Amino acid sequence: MRLEGIGKTFVDARSGTPQQVLADFSLTVEPGELVAVVGASGTGKTTLLHVVAGLVQPDTGTVETGDPRLGIVFQQPRLLDWLSVRENITLACHDGAKADEVLAAVGLTEYAGSYPTVLSGGQRQRVAVARAFAVEPDLLLLDEPFSALDELTARKLRLLLQDLWMQRPRTGLLVTHNPLEAALLADRVIVLAGRPARIAAEYRVDRERPRSAEDPHLFELHSQIVAAL
Amino acid sequence: MTATDVRPGPVAAAVAKAPHPRRRLRFLPAVLFLVLLAAAWQLMATLLDFVLVPGVPAIVTEMVDIVSDGSFLDQLGITVLRVGLGFALAFVVAVVVGIAMGRNEFARRFFEPAVLLGLTIPGLVWALLCVIWFGIDLVNPVAAVALSSAPALMLQIYQGTRSVDPDLLEMAHVYRFSRRVTLRKLWLPALAPSLFAGARLGLSLGWKVIVLVEVFGMSSGVGYQLNNAFAAQNVAAVLAWTLLFAIVMAILEYGILQGLEKRVSRWRKAVSV
Ligand SMILES: Nc1ncnc2c1ncn2[C@@H]1O[C@H](COP(=O)(O)OP(=O)(O)O)[C@@H](O)[C@H]1O
Ligand SMILES: [Mg+2]
Repeated sequence: MRLEGIGKTFVDARSGTPQQVLADFSLTVEPGELVAVVGASGTGKTTLLHVVAGLVQPDTGTVETGDPRLGIVFQQPRLLDWLSVRENITLACHDGAKADEVLAAVGLTEYAGSYPTVLSGGQRQRVAVARAFAVEPDLLLLDEPFSALDELTARKLRLLLQDLWMQRPRTGLLVTHNPLEAALLADRVIVLAGRPARIAAEYRVDRERPRSAEDPHLFELHSQIVAAL
Repeated sequence: MTATDVRPGPVAAAVAKAPHPRRRLRFLPAVLFLVLLAAAWQLMATLLDFVLVPGVPAIVTEMVDIVSDGSFLDQLGITVLRVGLGFALAFVVAVVVGIAMGRNEFARRFFEPAVLLGLTIPGLVWALLCVIWFGIDLVNPVAAVALSSAPALMLQIYQGTRSVDPDLLEMAHVYRFSRRVTLRKLWLPALAPSLFAGARLGLSLGWKVIVLVEVFGMSSGVGYQLNNAFAAQNVAAVLAWTLLFAIVMAILEYGILQGLEKRVSRWRKAVSV
């Protein structure tokens, strides 16, 4: 997946002042690679992800994704509350057996027939993760998938994500404001800062998976990222 | 209208399974009111002892007569057909226009004056105009019902369209939901509350205007019978027709419309009484 010279300017609806969120931004993600984008809120991470997903049209530049099958986890679960958990997944992947498989993987088999409204926030986000993996995506996009959750649940889901990733590695872009999450999950971490956003720092994470959140190497990397932010 | 954050506990399930005693209790206040109303009316009729204020037995006898000689079902059928046709016409037009208004700025600005104007014109005016223009044709009541209920329906559906979560539409786009699936699984359920609210409002407006049209310009239907009773100064019959009509409306509203809505919004689990 390649982004080349992307520019995006939003006009503030109230004041009418234009703000350039992205300018001449380029990024390449190799096949099989998981790249984490870290940055303070408001830097343009979501915008970047939406450009890749085709939800936002950039003003300039090119997006080369080769029309991949997308799996996406938004900041909120974005489930259809009037359909069962299972149907939420089959609508995306058209495969009931696959839906059962991913639901088992995220530990929600017993909730397959329930409406999402009876689930807790963490469980709903797990459904969203399951849906993203159910479509067997070529490109997986994750937008602060665990930031709305309590730390304990977030920690569990990070490890779950790592498990799923190890079963089926694919190309991925993970947006987060949590440096430790980035270090734990990604092959490469880029730090986004400024307006328009540019790459302030870049780190490779050459650690075998499965990784542990207690790994001192990862913690040191985390400190470096924090320093760069 | 969103109930996404409503989390039913075990209580909701228990209520759903609870047997009849509770359900009967639920109707108790309404029944009590009706009994008191009938008693008060009877008291008034007895005290006044006046031919234009018939007692409860006279009204009930009249109701039984109307129903048992078959005229009620005939006349009701005619009236319901007229309302049904007019309402269906208004509903289809309103769904198209309402969604267009919600999705398109030009459409919104274009139809807005029509909706505002339509909301302020009294049903009586539509009834009079349609009688003048269409005479005793079936077009007359259908047009009057459609014209008087469409603006309110459009407004409801327009507002419903605006409240459909754009985040879900994005999700549907990314996961490549087909147009059909998006309509059936996303748009319709999301619009359901406004569709039902609109149906309720539109039907109630339709009932009111149809009686006027039938009083002024028809030679059949419940309104026509009401007018006959009125001309004969038969107050018991006027009240009997009105009450029967009200009962049928209540059945439509509570029995059919609300039952349907409950089925459609089972997932909400918010108990509406
Ligand atoms: N649709 C939009 N219209 C106007 N401004 C927007 C829109 N989307 C994002 N922005 C602005 O762009 C900036 C970056 O937003 P976003 O990409 O959501 O940041 P992040 O995800 O890093 O927190 C913010 O200042 C935000 O106000
Ligand atoms: Mg964001």
